[in-house]
Amino acid sequence: MLSEILTIGFLTAFLSATVRLAIPLIYGGLGETIAEKSGILNIGMEGVMLSGAFFSFGGAWFSNNLFVGLLCGMLGGLAVSLLHGFLSIFLAKDQSVSGLALNMFMLGVTGFLYKLMSTGQDYQQIDTFQTMPIPVLSKIPLIGEAFFNRDILTYMLYALLILTWLFYKKTNYGLSFAAIGEHPRAAASAGIPVHKYQWIAMIFNGILGGIGGAYLVLVQLGVFTENMISGRGYIALATVILGRYTPFGMFGAAILFGAANALQIRLQTIGIAVSPFLLGILPYAITLIAMIGSIGKNTKPEALSEPYIKGAR
Amino acid sequence: MIQKKNGKETLIDIFLIIIITALIGTLLIVMCGAKPLAAYSLFFHGIFGNISSFSEIFVKACPLILTGLGCAVAFRTGFFNIGAEGQFYVGAMVTTMAALKLTMVPGILRMVLALLAGFLAGGLWALIAAVFKAKFNISEIIVTIMLNYIAINFLGYAVRSFLMDPEGNVPQSAKIDPSVQLTTLIKSTRFHTGILIAVGCVLLVWFLMEKTTIGYELRAVGINQRASACTGISVMKNIVFSAFLSGGLAALAGGIEVLAIQKKLLEGISAGCGYTAVLIALVAFNNPLGVLATAVLYATMQVGASSMQRQLGVPSAIVNILMGVVVILILGKEVFHMRGRRRILTDQKGEK
Repeated sequence: MLSEILTIGFLTAFLSATVRLAIPLIYGGLGETIAEKSGILNIGMEGVMLSGAFFSFGGAWFSNNLFVGLLCGMLGGLAVSLLHGFLSIFLAKDQSVSGLALNMFMLGVTGFLYKLMSTGQDYQQIDTFQTMPIPVLSKIPLIGEAFFNRDILTYMLYALLILTWLFYKKTNYGLSFAAIGEHPRAAASAGIPVHKYQWIAMIFNGILGGIGGAYLVLVQLGVFTENMISGRGYIALATVILGRYTPFGMFGAAILFGAANALQIRLQTIGIAVSPFLLGILPYAITLIAMIGSIGKNTKPEALSEPYIKGAR
Repeated sequence: MIQKKNGKETLIDIFLIIIITALIGTLLIVMCGAKPLAAYSLFFHGIFGNISSFSEIFVKACPLILTGLGCAVAFRTGFFNIGAEGQFYVGAMVTTMAALKLTMVPGILRMVLALLAGFLAGGLWALIAAVFKAKFNISEIIVTIMLNYIAINFLGYAVRSFLMDPEGNVPQSAKIDPSVQLTTLIKSTRFHTGILIAVGCVLLVWFLMEKTTIGYELRAVGINQRASACTGISVMKNIVFSAFLSGGLAALAGGIEVLAIQKKLLEGISAGCGYTAVLIALVAFNNPLGVLATAVLYATMQVGASSMQRQLGVPSAIVNILMGVVVILILGKEVFHMRGRRRILTDQKGEK
């Protein structure tokens, strides 16, 4: 069996699948990293991504334009995050409760609207974004195919990851956006507008999560199905913890999850004699084990999911 | 979460929530191109049409009561158990296994043993998340969700291998012996003994939570872990206990569903009730008696909505949307009173 796995063909396909499966998680995870660093826990990432997926599909279907679809997906995700922001920043409510309620709510809303949209037609497919190989880089053996023979949204994600990392590492604003998640009261007395920054973080959370959901529709599948995010939003939350609240840590964690998933799929394709359902457990089990391994240094923002109320003590 | 304010305001809140929810429901029905009055008449006919459809309410409510109760117990202790779905499946699996394999134990006794085994297994399954939280400080929300996917996949494996009906080739278990099944109480309906077990559990858990020291400690840990620890209440012990009880209750729901309704194990048996349970517990403010009422209300809406779906093609997903609306409105209800944000937040400061 090992000889079947250790071929260039297998490894290239495996790496490629790894990245493909990881991209939506990285988008969601990046949005969640930004939110959590500012102290807002958005358990509703699942709903944000689902909304992004549905509205991108709707937008692309009615306009026949992928970029309109992408925009609709971003707005769809944004709407959910803003609702979460309203409940958790403006009204200072329990963030876990609000997020969970939004997930259920969006599951119902998207399922309902999709049923309305698809009356009479069983199967609707839209075109997807084409891959655009980057000249020299895509010819690198093994990783070239996986990382540089991709679509525009993936390349945009690379840029966003680097920008986010630079923002938190190198700029004063980045420091402020992290400070409000650590100790909002101290940040406020240093003149940082805590709530305003939290709202900005939620805007990014919604847009990025929305793209994460839209990616599944506009790049990978070309269709919407009910509950199509099927837990990816929650896994994105796990990658943030695994990645210790840094953009590249989260990237690594998402790649790990993608790899576990890709391995499972590849092993099934080469016809290994283990039940596909047992292999299906693999990605989740690996995530759990990796989370035990990641403990130690506590990197969690101190004030995560504690509502900040001006003037309260 | 329960806020003691003046009764008049609470009444206005409840009234407004009902009105807004009903309006949104009507709007959704109109969006489907159905006439609201016709839809509502079908809705009520579906519920009160005959004894069999009326008893369906309780059949649908039974798993929701138990899983909702499980969530409520955990939430009360500050343990966000989103794993009722997985615990339900673990319970269903273990109960089926015991009911099929323990052939040396006769009828009723085997049934009781099977349900207890399911309860135990579900409790232990939930304990994994409690250990992750207590030992490693890893969010139980994420762990319980991972455990859900693991349980669902494992069930898929089980009904294709060691639990598969040897005489069939569909992914489901063999039929459970009639002597081990939970009996139907009313003829020509599906009203079964399990519903009484569920109601019994509600009363027991209510008594435990409200009237005993154990319940007092559980609630104290839920309100303020640090203060509890300072007064000598073990936070870890209480979280572990509430996780076990919570998982066990959800698993019992799975066991009852197998022994009373399906009479065999198959995939998708929970119909998502483990996730609905989370909302039910939230709407009920984690109060056991509230869970009973909310679950029955939700099941009523479901029965009515599926009658609308059959006759008018109005998707029954409406019920899920409305449930989400109710939770969001409960969270955001201060907005009704137009008191401005300063006042809202000052109120919350007072509570802290």
